[in-house]
Amino acid sequence: MQQNVVVLDNGGGLIKAGLGGDRDPSTIIPNCLYRPLSSKKWLHPSPSSDPIDLTSAAVRRPIDRGYLINPDLQRDIWAHVFSSILHTHHVGPAHSALLLTEPLFALPSVQRATDELVFEDFNFAALYVADSPSLTHLYEASRRPTGLISRAQCSLVVDCGFSFTHAAPVFQNFTLNYAAKRIDLGGKALTNYLKELVSYRSVNVMDETFLMDDVKEKLCFVSMDVTRDLRIAKKSGKENLLRCTYVLPDGVAHTKGFVKDADEAQRYTALDEGDDQSQKPGTSMDWDQAHVTEKIEERKKTDLTKNEFDLTNERFLVPEMIFHPADLGMNQAGLAECIVRAVSSCHPHLQPLLYQSIVLTGGSTLFPRFTQRLERELRPLVPDDFQVKITSQEDPILGVWRGGSLLASSPDFEGMCVTKAEYEELGSARCRRRFFH
Amino acid sequence: MDDDASNPLRRVSSRTRKVASKMVAALASTDNRTQAALARLEALENDNAGIETVEPNDEDDDSLDEDDQVYMQKKQSKSMKRKTRQAKALEARKAPKTFLELLHEANLESLPSHVPSYLKASVGPPISTSRRHFCTVCGSAAKYTCVRCGIRFCSCRCQNIHNDTRCLKFVA
Repeated sequence: MQQNVVVLDNGGGLIKAGLGGDRDPSTIIPNCLYRPLSSKKWLHPSPSSDPIDLTSAAVRRPIDRGYLINPDLQRDIWAHVFSSILHTHHVGPAHSALLLTEPLFALPSVQRATDELVFEDFNFAALYVADSPSLTHLYEASRRPTGLISRAQCSLVVDCGFSFTHAAPVFQNFTLNYAAKRIDLGGKALTNYLKELVSYRSVNVMDETFLMDDVKEKLCFVSMDVTRDLRIAKKSGKENLLRCTYVLPDGVAHTKGFVKDADEAQRYTALDEGDDQSQKPGTSMDWDQAHVTEKIEERKKTDLTKNEFDLTNERFLVPEMIFHPADLGMNQAGLAECIVRAVSSCHPHLQPLLYQSIVLTGGSTLFPRFTQRLERELRPLVPDDFQVKITSQEDPILGVWRGGSLLASSPDFEGMCVTKAEYEELGSARCRRRFFH
Repeated sequence: MDDDASNPLRRVSSRTRKVASKMVAALASTDNRTQAALARLEALENDNAGIETVEPNDEDDDSLDEDDQVYMQKKQSKSMKRKTRQAKALEARKAPKTFLELLHEANLESLPSHVPSYLKASVGPPISTSRRHFCTVCGSAAKYTCVRCGIRFCSCRCQNIHNDTRCLKFVA
């Protein structure tokens, strides 16, 4: 019996949902309900209809720190998602299977709540629970059938998502959970950190989650040399290659914020490694004096009535926290050390292979230069005779879902699922043993 | 202070009286500082920055018609009075547990040491790098520490801004 498989990557930030076998998910929406100022009710985010003004919208998320804590809310959101996917195909959940992603180390109570949701509230015929590292591995292995990842059947997946960051080795399509390591930092914490910085330094944006997400995505980048960039960020006038201005929405002419000058925002890419033109002694003094007048003009340009704010060192200090969570006061190692610890808890024969097949996935790896910086941090920590090779996915947000779609269309999939009858017979805990995690 | 009030005849210098309570706070300050730091980290996981709390049944109010309002107001005032213990208990039950509460309930510490779990998956403290300090005011490398609250700043200018805005907010 060929049945529909709904593939659902239930992330803390975005839900990616679609039918197994497709290349791209049909629905990508934020996994939350929000209440804009104009409304009293909590609304579902919908990509199709006219964009609602999200200024100061309150948010409710069913997922906290990566794990499902509010099944009632999740039920609402899933019902909304499924109605849009399944309605077009004229099948109910009762005739389809569900492939669901779940974070590593989900607590038994969270797993039970998820199973209840799937089988008792939605009546799915079958369920398979996968974790994101193995799906990412599957996708990367099938994309390059002759590459190392598919020949060696192992890879180290770094999933830097919305709620947290995992470095997990995958071997023959199974995540080695005893070696997986986690940093409790993800896109959500970074956005909140940026909010905090901007609110203290220029405009109060503590309520503007969606706006600051946009600022983070458009303007933040990973610095290759923090001390140098801090020096540059201190400069004034045109010398400061890092400053750029973001214009807040005014609710009349534009309802979305935007970067004032896109070229200005890209100037940091000119900071090539090694060649520090701005560091030549003498010139900087001349520049300062010559541009005093210009500085005043600049000041005039950013007047407060126009509701905009400048970002300088915030642009790279925010993503920096993934590499050095200790700077925030967290007692956790950075991403490079996290990878090293994950790899060294594996069998020694696997280690050289794992270092050569690091795969980056998750939305927070989209910061420009993330890969280069990681490589630079990782190299000194890895033994000299091992090669380090980091692959970034072409679309890190969808990578996990695509892996799920592949798995769902494979012939073995039906046999791997737990059916509703089995769930009713055995209960949640015993069904879960089949998934090996 | 209580001590003074209970026995007014006790002779203490005015300075002691003024400073005593502050000293107690200062002695506990390292703890306060770590608590403030933890609270700050906790705040990074918040969805809404404000005091936004969960309102489980706010939708009921929205479905009311305008005409019924007078009637409903009467009724509401009645129901508001009744909404004491039962309703509060109901609301408390309805509010979902936070992840940390669930984690505590799962009692992962009791698992044998070889079983991988959420707690063991966390990367430990950093070894190869140490904490860098950035100025909380302007973001550049911070050399100095505020003597009162322990927050970092980089220059005199930033110190002044810090003293005027954030200082001592975390302590006490």
